[in-house]
Amino acid sequence: MRSILALMRVAWLSAISYRIGTVISLVGLLASVVPVFFISRAVQSVAAASISAEGGDYFGFVIVGLAAVLVLSSAITAIPGALAGSIGSGTFESLTVTRTSLPVILMGMSGYPLLQSLLRAVMLIGGAAVLGVDVAWRLLPVVAVIVALLIIAYGAIGLFAAALVLVFRTSGPLITAVVAGSGLLGGVYYSTAVIPGWIQSLSGIVPLTYALRSTRMLLLGGAPVSAVGGDVAILALIGAVGLALGSVAFSLALRHARAAGTLSQY
Amino acid sequence: MIVRIDGLTKAFPVQRTWRETLAAPFTAPRTTVVDHVSFSVAEGEIFGLLGQNGAGKTTIFKMLSTLILADAGTASIAGFDVRNEGRAVRRSLAPVIANERSLYWRLSAVENLRLYATLQGLRGGDVRAEVDRTLRITGLSDTGEKMVGMFSSGMRQRLLIARALLGRPRVLLLDEPTRSLDPISARDFRNFLRETVVRAEGCTVLLATHDADEVWDLCDRVGVLERGRLLAVDETSVLRYRAGSDRFRLWLRTSDGVAAIAQAATAGLPLQRRGAAAEPGWDEFECAIPDGTEGAARALALFAAEGRAVARFERAAPSLADLIERVLATATQAGGAHA
Repeated sequence: MRSILALMRVAWLSAISYRIGTVISLVGLLASVVPVFFISRAVQSVAAASISAEGGDYFGFVIVGLAAVLVLSSAITAIPGALAGSIGSGTFESLTVTRTSLPVILMGMSGYPLLQSLLRAVMLIGGAAVLGVDVAWRLLPVVAVIVALLIIAYGAIGLFAAALVLVFRTSGPLITAVVAGSGLLGGVYYSTAVIPGWIQSLSGIVPLTYALRSTRMLLLGGAPVSAVGGDVAILALIGAVGLALGSVAFSLALRHARAAGTLSQY
Repeated sequence: MIVRIDGLTKAFPVQRTWRETLAAPFTAPRTTVVDHVSFSVAEGEIFGLLGQNGAGKTTIFKMLSTLILADAGTASIAGFDVRNEGRAVRRSLAPVIANERSLYWRLSAVENLRLYATLQGLRGGDVRAEVDRTLRITGLSDTGEKMVGMFSSGMRQRLLIARALLGRPRVLLLDEPTRSLDPISARDFRNFLRETVVRAEGCTVLLATHDADEVWDLCDRVGVLERGRLLAVDETSVLRYRAGSDRFRLWLRTSDGVAAIAQAATAGLPLQRRGAAAEPGWDEFECAIPDGTEGAARALALFAAEGRAVARFERAAPSLADLIERVLATATQAGGAHA
């Protein structure tokens, strides 16, 4: 755990050493809420019926969707991004020859971007609350569990991407395809109920669908925890299966890279 | 023996062009970069691996560091097998990654070392104590809070050593550590390595280099690598003598030069002028003199008998090219004798 925290601390210190970039990023995030607010007011009457089970407020609906995309994007890119970045910068080799195991190193390297995206998601929802969205903060611990499952589900795909980085030095279109597909099918801007039938069945295999629906029902609709039990169970199942498969893929890729001598090659 | 390597072998796939790949898509040609290499290193020794670029030095180091799996053969560090006991190996051995980019340039030296001390398993007060210790022995105590991006190349090399010394490894791997240093910094670095790292810290050092002078200056024993094969392993003084025992450098008066060359030639000594010596009025010559020390004594007597002033007379340190050439020739002769 200390090794993970030490790696996260280094990433944080490196990030805040770029002071102007840090400030601009935070201001930009908060500023992005404002146009979403006005557009949401314009389409509220059209969308209200389809999102009634998830709070009925389109602004809150979209903000939670955007916050979830922030987290899932970070979850899927954190490990391959940290891996590719550290191989490129030359730090990877020096980290892997320490006494700390590679899985711990990867968790440490991906911890800071994940934490940063979680903070940004909370800020986004906090900003929405300031602009009038009624958020059931008391259900935040349950939402935290859902977010953790979302991170595991997309982190597993991140492990596949990291395996591709180890073998081919690029994850190709995998990450872009998953993020874009999840955004389209998972119901970021609209309820999955309005998607045509044959595409709707595809949204059933997208972890974001379950995470978003349950989070909105809890945070925006104030639904009882029992109402989201089914969605959480499916999300957990997808995460568990994905994590097992992703770990196997990463282990095989690691073995291949060590045999081929490409583990620390730029 | 703290390092044991037995028959270590590694081959890598050959990078092919599209045309070559399409012409033979189902073949996977490989090139052997380390070919049945065996040697061992005693505790407290400085062992040099001398070879040209591409000889296989770095691959051997990466196999010892558990970054690359060997195709065949075994290697152990402090009794731990590099293939099956990677974590235990990494507790005993630290490669000095010479790449300066492997440091976090936006952070201070202390922050860099604090991270790696934690990754080496140190906790709490031990982290601070170990960071202070390694900064002190590498002479960086006064610049510990300075951002690494502001360091000179020599300071970064020292920081890389400091990082490797965290956790007190028993074996240190150095891959061309003076590559980016100016001559004075390189000399200081060698002194530091000998006096501090080996004598004071008690580390065993494996040094990979293509600089023969570095090996002559630092190493107790040396292995000569050529295209993945270990051509010779011996004490540095023995190998140096074997490789360069008949080559001498001498200073003769410039006015004596032409006559001296002619005279030496008649005595079977092919004197070659290398250029003006460091002092005016003298030229530097090199000559292959057979029969070692006895031959050298006879050559000196010859010059004295003819009244030639010899201001300097010394055995020439063989270059890497000389060494490989001689070792290859010796190996060929031995092979011929066997046949």
